[in-house]
Amino acid sequence: MATKGANAFEMAQAQFDKVAAILDLDPATRELLRWPMREFSFAIPVRMDDGHVRVFRGFRVQHNDARGPSKGGIRFHPQETLDTVRALATWMTWKCAVVDIPLGGGKGGVICDPHHLSQREQEQICRGWVRQLARNVGPVADVPAPDVMTSGQHMLWMLDEFEAIHGGHYPGFITGKPVGMGGSEGRTEATGYGVVFTIREALKEAGLDVKTTRASVQGFGNVAQYAIRLYAQIGGTVTCVACWDETDKTAYSFRREAGIDVDQLVGISDRFGGIDKAKAKQLGYEILPGDAWLEQPVEILIPAALENQIRADNAPRIHGKVRLLAEGANGPTTPEADLVLQQKGIFVIPDFLANAGGVTCSYFEQVQSNMNFFWEKDEVLARLDAKMTAAFHATSELATKRKLFMRDAAYVIAINRVAQACRDRGWV
Amino acid sequence: MIPEAEDVPRFDRKLFDPARRISRIGAGSLGGKARGLVAAARILAERRSDLERPDLVLDVPALCVLGTSVFDAFLDRNGLRALVAEEPSDPVVALAFQKASLPAEWLGDLRSVAEDARVPLACRSSSALEDALGRPFAGVYGTKMIPGNQPDVSGRFKSLIDAVKFVFASTFFHEARAYRRAAGELPEPEKMAVVVQEVVGRRHGERFYPDISGVARSWNFYPVGPAEPREGIVELALGLGKTIVDGGACWSFSPAHPKLPPPVGSVRDLLETTQCRFWAVSVGPPPPYDPMAETEFLVELALAEAEVDGTLRHAASTYDAGSDRLVPGTGRPGPRVLDFAPILTWNELPLVPALRKLLAVCEQELGAPVEIEFALSLSPGQPVRLGFLQVRPLLVSEEAVEVAEDELAAPTAVVASTAALGNGRHEVRDVVYVEPGTFESRLTPAIAAEIEGVNRALVEAGRPYLLIGFGRWGSADPWLGIPVRWDQIAGARGIVEAALPHMSPDPSQGSHFFHNLQSFSVLYFTVPLESARAVDWSWLASQETVTRTEHVRHVHTQTPLALRVDGRSRRGVVTAGKA
Repeated sequence: MATKGANAFEMAQAQFDKVAAILDLDPATRELLRWPMREFSFAIPVRMDDGHVRVFRGFRVQHNDARGPSKGGIRFHPQETLDTVRALATWMTWKCAVVDIPLGGGKGGVICDPHHLSQREQEQICRGWVRQLARNVGPVADVPAPDVMTSGQHMLWMLDEFEAIHGGHYPGFITGKPVGMGGSEGRTEATGYGVVFTIREALKEAGLDVKTTRASVQGFGNVAQYAIRLYAQIGGTVTCVACWDETDKTAYSFRREAGIDVDQLVGISDRFGGIDKAKAKQLGYEILPGDAWLEQPVEILIPAALENQIRADNAPRIHGKVRLLAEGANGPTTPEADLVLQQKGIFVIPDFLANAGGVTCSYFEQVQSNMNFFWEKDEVLARLDAKMTAAFHATSELATKRKLFMRDAAYVIAINRVAQACRDRGWV
Repeated sequence: MIPEAEDVPRFDRKLFDPARRISRIGAGSLGGKARGLVAAARILAERRSDLERPDLVLDVPALCVLGTSVFDAFLDRNGLRALVAEEPSDPVVALAFQKASLPAEWLGDLRSVAEDARVPLACRSSSALEDALGRPFAGVYGTKMIPGNQPDVSGRFKSLIDAVKFVFASTFFHEARAYRRAAGELPEPEKMAVVVQEVVGRRHGERFYPDISGVARSWNFYPVGPAEPREGIVELALGLGKTIVDGGACWSFSPAHPKLPPPVGSVRDLLETTQCRFWAVSVGPPPPYDPMAETEFLVELALAEAEVDGTLRHAASTYDAGSDRLVPGTGRPGPRVLDFAPILTWNELPLVPALRKLLAVCEQELGAPVEIEFALSLSPGQPVRLGFLQVRPLLVSEEAVEVAEDELAAPTAVVASTAALGNGRHEVRDVVYVEPGTFESRLTPAIAAEIEGVNRALVEAGRPYLLIGFGRWGSADPWLGIPVRWDQIAGARGIVEAALPHMSPDPSQGSHFFHNLQSFSVLYFTVPLESARAVDWSWLASQETVTRTEHVRHVHTQTPLALRVDGRSRRGVVTAGKA
């Protein structure tokens, strides 16, 4: 989904500044936390299948590791920028802190479009990325994970390169590995399920029965699919889902009033979550413009695609029935749009809380990998539920107590924890 | 009076929440057992002033119920329906269920149960069909106790979900399938709820158990001596109630006549027929991992262990060989007999009046004779804790059946009993009997297997039958009778027990076997082994053979057999239009 308008890092800094003022942080702490602690920007030369060499641009940003090793995904995206990666690394710091796992924030990326790269070319990018960073990442320093358009296969190539360089087995170097190869049960479902665990708790607080609610979702990748699945399993109905169409280079919304069938749509979607609109039409779905998902008369909106999707220009089009917005994606709402949401009285579960299930399960995978002992799926998902539920209620209680917007309450908790860790270490 | 599922509040991540002692996880039916518990809690809440005593605390132990929606989601999401439709063996079902994942949306709740509970928990099956049919499916489905003594939450959570999966799997075990088949046409497919409940008891070193557990009925199907049916009956055992429900040796008494001696020949007989082992939850070092065993965390112990724990004090008398009599209590050395005399004779604890009151109140509330289950925990210096574990209405047949005394000696009588159980009448054309010339006590396990085969064929053909054999049917001890499970004889509508010597005259009324006799309205005829007229063996021999195995013969009678039991006089007779 196309990113429009705001610079993501400026947005992240604006959010931080607002909360730093609430917390009355001292200038040094503000300066430290406004910027990443370390940034890596490097070239990855790859010999392509046709014989010519192409140079890709790679990044790794370690925003803050006061609470533990940096943690964050690696994105393969043609519109990747250093500022996007900085913003996402910053949000990772807050995300790990808000769910209270002992990790810092990092993020990486490569400017590339995997739609137009062979498997071998992608493997070379992965190995090249690790060769550039092998001494600055690792189980006790910085632990990468899959993100936009990267998968367990990419992680295994990276792990293999890392282990070849360091001469040993380090399954805790990277997460998102396939189950049986150092991966954790439940990792695939974790982010989407985590979003729904927080929705479930928010509905309980609002006194709404999930069975009476409807939802509209932006995105049909891994996060959205599992969120839709679990939300339907607990009794809700998803009536609309929007996704990117790679052929038309635009997004479409797919609507069915009676509720979408996630398995049916998965059956007609590509590996990046793009739904075949001709087949969808045959199955009785209405095909609407990409932004239509936002305008649906539903109680819940779940943006689960890319950042900057809900902006000042389109937020007023959100239907009056919407009571809750759960951010499955990172940074889907701009600060200007936040004001519109507040005016509309929409309860927001902010991204770094709602989608923290992924990093929480990554942390579980790291723990399991480091001890080389793996839990059953029931154990993983139960721990995930406990973490997410506790984090939601801590945030919600603070928001109520201090009359804060949920996003601000979550930031207050997270930034306070990180600032405290920096002080405890004697950094500031 | 009986509550609905939606009356039960949702579980709020705390098992021991004083404001919410009963809660539910998931939706759907709560099943028969859970509904009984909810009814018990309601009776306590509404009639507390009638039931409370200063020296006794009465409560329903904290519990949460996994509604049948959890069971449905578990089967559907793990693709288990196709597997169970093929009716694989019990270990295959159990293993597949253990490997499957519980629905993600309820795992957080279950983990918080494990987080909260550092005491043993019972995971009890609560069948939706029990609820729909209004009768208990006794002993058909699994119940598993877990110790709650693992120091880390993950260990406790693991044993909890293993136990839940075991109970789910037991829905499709061979015995349960056979039981349902024998029950005839069912209104709906079986679904299982699971009650997760605190176990009442105290810890003694590496074991945890209630001082006393029991079953009380306000209607006695088998009154002895001066006892009347309406006065009810109570059965007590030391340790977990498993002793009673498995049909083990326990102590029975009429709550109206608690001091009445049991109908046994001598004190020495009592030594041989009373409880000598008891069950406890093992809270010591972890036992070998075996999630597919119902008794994974249970231990069966000798009375000597209870003596060490000090739990015999209120439960035992001591045999004085010099005077050949029992002295209540354990103040002197000598063999212990579990006759609960310190409570029943000396009223050391207010158990009998409390039970009498509880039975009366429950009868009033449910408008029918009732059965209750309970467990007692006696902590020094504190009031007795009476855990109220179940209440359910009893099926009491009021059908007027007359069996005159002279009918027992009539030439048409094939079986005649003066100690029959139940009340009512049936008609059958098939008889399955153990041939008298071939019976030996050592052969009873083989005989049970032969009967199972004949029963299966008759159940499939939809033909009820009369079953005749030697010794106590359903006995756990193969030397006391034929150790059949209920599903192995589930097609029988009448059962004849030619009693063996040295056997307790009363079947345990709290046992699964007895529950099933009642549920299926099976008429049970006890006859003396040596009595010439009790069973007309020669007439049976003259009937047409359908199948014959090494010890068992199945005959088809020329004319229908009429089975009749008069519950008031306890006379029972099987008559045939003999030529």
